[in-house]
Amino acid sequence: MSAPVAIYEPFRAGLPPLGAYLRALWARRSFIAEFSRSELREQNYGSIFGQLWLVLNPLLLSGVYFLLIYIIGGQSDSNRYGHLTASLFLFYLVSNSLTGGVKSITAGQRLILNTAFPRIMLPISAMVIALFKFVPTLAVFFVMRTVLGLNYSWQMFWAIPVVLIALLMGLGMAILISCINVYFRDIASFLPYMTRSLLYLSPILYQASDLSDKLRSFEIANPIFYLLDAWSQVMVYAQAPDLFSLLHSLVWALAIFIIGTYFFLSRERDFAVRL
Amino acid sequence: MISLSASNSQNSTHAKHGLAVSVQNVGLTYTTSIDKRPTLKARLKSLGRGKKHTRIVNALSQVNLDVHYGTVLGVIGSNGAGKSSLMRVISGIVPPSQGRVEVHGSVSTLLALGVGFNPSMTGRANVYLGGLAAGMSRAEIDEQFEAIADFSELGDAIDAPMRTYSSGMYARLAFSVAATVQPDILIVDEALSTGDAHFKEKSLNRIKELRSADRALILVSHAMATIEDVCNEVAWLHKGKLMARGNPAEVIKQYREFTNTGKSSAANEDV
Repeated sequence: MSAPVAIYEPFRAGLPPLGAYLRALWARRSFIAEFSRSELREQNYGSIFGQLWLVLNPLLLSGVYFLLIYIIGGQSDSNRYGHLTASLFLFYLVSNSLTGGVKSITAGQRLILNTAFPRIMLPISAMVIALFKFVPTLAVFFVMRTVLGLNYSWQMFWAIPVVLIALLMGLGMAILISCINVYFRDIASFLPYMTRSLLYLSPILYQASDLSDKLRSFEIANPIFYLLDAWSQVMVYAQAPDLFSLLHSLVWALAIFIIGTYFFLSRERDFAVRL
Repeated sequence: MISLSASNSQNSTHAKHGLAVSVQNVGLTYTTSIDKRPTLKARLKSLGRGKKHTRIVNALSQVNLDVHYGTVLGVIGSNGAGKSSLMRVISGIVPPSQGRVEVHGSVSTLLALGVGFNPSMTGRANVYLGGLAAGMSRAEIDEQFEAIADFSELGDAIDAPMRTYSSGMYARLAFSVAATVQPDILIVDEALSTGDAHFKEKSLNRIKELRSADRALILVSHAMATIEDVCNEVAWLHKGKLMARGNPAEVIKQYREFTNTGKSSAANEDV
């Protein structure tokens, strides 16, 4: 056993030594898993269906939105329903990371004030919880698309990079927003409107191809527009996504992740005194 | 954990009287917002008015303190003296505003009981949760689980959700988890007064067992009898300043004269 020497000096905004930070984070990986699991369990604690809600939630959600587009659109085919469900499920992966992430630091006050650990663990577990919620929806979707009679093809393996990009995006957003919330608590109140806008601005209730070219060029500013488009191409139409969509979402995901992580790591030693 | 500078040259056991913690000229000022929750609205309203929405709290100033291995240091002082702040600085939770802290060895903190516990989970699940939060590995907890459960004396209640526990049961389990971690430096902040008299004594004995030449213990307590019984050194903080440090009996005497409490039973009683 080695005797590490830790030196604590006045806080300056700046990155901690990344190697040591990552090692400390890695050493806590089972805590992240256990912490996420218990948070997830707590959310459905005491309900009759319990963990079954993980599957019921997405099912009911897609039912409600199907009703909406059926009434508004007046027509619907299996592709449209498949598109709606698949897109909604991926959207919720990102938006659950955001809503879980926003209060991860402020709600972890007791933990932060009494234990020294890499604080980034908390938004990471928000993303892990969102992932735990996403996995059962995937199973639901595959049953659904079989029932709907949609095609399968090898191109569907493109789903893997798309999900990875979505996870990076969700993680980056959770980290960024948890940090912002320490300084501006109002962001938590804005968030429902932000995610709702994001829902309507993204190709979920409609398809990306329904939009005019002009509108679509504006959507470059929407981090998840092309991500969802790629996802729909892969999961509903069993086609390879176009390269632009992949690159667009990857660049956005990386940008949000890097900015968020930099902001977070350079400020996290300051969190304890601001809670 | 944050600014680890690798120095693996030291041996596994610490030389007796080797330096464990060195607190050098440490000052801590909190800038807290006057309104508890900083909001954009408050910011906007005070924009351009030169109004300060923060105030500065001096929690610690010019504290110098060396703790060597083999020492059991008691920290005393009235409420708000900066004891907990000092513990947080030493354990790396809050960065100091001035000065520097060097910590040689692994630190485990027992600043509050049941940190990381989730009340809707069973006691068993919380042993893992709390242990992992304290930095133990899953394998270590597996190994220690029986000992933890035995020590807590919860019996079958260990498999009941913790929200069904009484506060004493909750505290007993929390202490049992925390006392299993075997760090080089253990910091205990008023966490000993848990449970009934029987359990208090048991936890005090546990702390005594943890005393050893290659470990440093820092104990914050208001219970003078405990401090005198367990510690071989005492530091007295008052309003963020280190007033005295040294032989337990002497420092406690000075502290008592200062606060005029005398040797009242109220100050001795609680562990």
